[in-house]
Amino acid sequence: MTNKEKYKQAFSVLRPSEEFSLEVNTMKKTRNHRPLSVVAASFAACIILLGSAATAYAADVGGIQRKVQLWLHGDQTQAVIEFDGSGNYEMEYTDGEGNVKQQGGGGVAYDGHGRERPLTEEELLELLSDPEVQYRDDGTVWVYWFDQKIEITDKFEDGVCYVKLDNGEKTLYMTVKYQNGYATDTKKFVSPWEFN
Amino acid sequence: MVQDTFIQYWTQKKEFESEEHIRAWLIRVAVNKAKNKVSAFFRRNTLPLEDYMETLPFQTREDSDLFGAVMALPEKYRIVIHLFYFEDYSVREIADILHLTPENVKVRLTRGRQSLRSTLKEAWEDDQ
Repeated sequence: MTNKEKYKQAFSVLRPSEEFSLEVNTMKKTRNHRPLSVVAASFAACIILLGSAATAYAADVGGIQRKVQLWLHGDQTQAVIEFDGSGNYEMEYTDGEGNVKQQGGGGVAYDGHGRERPLTEEELLELLSDPEVQYRDDGTVWVYWFDQKIEITDKFEDGVCYVKLDNGEKTLYMTVKYQNGYATDTKKFVSPWEFN
Repeated sequence: MVQDTFIQYWTQKKEFESEEHIRAWLIRVAVNKAKNKVSAFFRRNTLPLEDYMETLPFQTREDSDLFGAVMALPEKYRIVIHLFYFEDYSVREIADILHLTPENVKVRLTRGRQSLRSTLKEAWEDDQ
C-alpha cells in the first residue's frame, strides 16, 4: 500500500455522514446551477484537521456590512466586514502583495451566570485588533500589533516568551507559548499554565 | 463552520471557472475560517484529541497511528500534507489555494513527511 493509500484509508473516517450528503444534494436540486456534493468531504476533513470545534450556527443572510481600517500583519489595511448579528463576521481585504484574502470568525462571551451570548460588533472588532503571532518559514517568530512588529525568536525560554506591548494608548502584557497560542492582560503577564 | 462556508458560497454569487475552482475556493475559505476560530474563542469548546479519536472507527491500529501522527504535526505542515495526500492536489494547486509559493509548499511537504517518517518509522515510506 502506498503512503497515499494508507493516508486515505486512515482519514476516510472523517467522511461526512449520509444525512449531510443528502442535504447537500437537496440544495443542489433546489438551485441547480452549482454542483456542491463534490466538496462536502473536503470540508469535513479540513475543518477537523485544523482542530476547531465544529460549531454550526443559524444562517442570517444579509447582515450589516462595514468598511473599516484594521492593522493586519503590521500594515494598515482597509477591510470590508459583514456582521451577521449572531456573533459572526466575514471579512475581505487585500494584503500587501495584492492578494484578496477572506477570513471569517466569531465568538461568544459568558456573563456572570455562565450564560452564553454572541459577541457584539464592537467586541468582534476588538478581537480583530488583538496581537498576532507569526511563525515564519525561516524559523523566526514575530508579533504584530497595530503598527508594531517585534521579533521574539530569541526570547523564548522553555517554550514561553513574555512581551510587553505599548502603543501609546494601551499596554498589553503578552505571554506566548511556542506554537501553542498566547494570552494577554492589561495589568500583568498571564502565567503559562493559566491558558490552553 | 461548514454551513457558514456554504452560505458564503451561496450568497456571494462569485463567478467560478470550473468545479475544481469551486472546490479550491471553498477549501481556502474553510481553512481561513477554521484558523480564525482556532485562534479565538472556540478553543474552549474543543475536545482533547485522544477523546475525539476514540470516537472514530479506524480499520486498523496503523490507521489510528497515522491519523495521530498527522494531527501532531504543526498546522502549516498538516494542511499541506492533507491537501496532497487526501485531496490529491499538486504542489502548484496547493500553492494557489494557500497563497504560498510552490517552493514553500515543497518545503512544508518535505518537513511534514520527515516528521511522519520519524514518528511512524517503517509504516511510512520515504517518498521524498
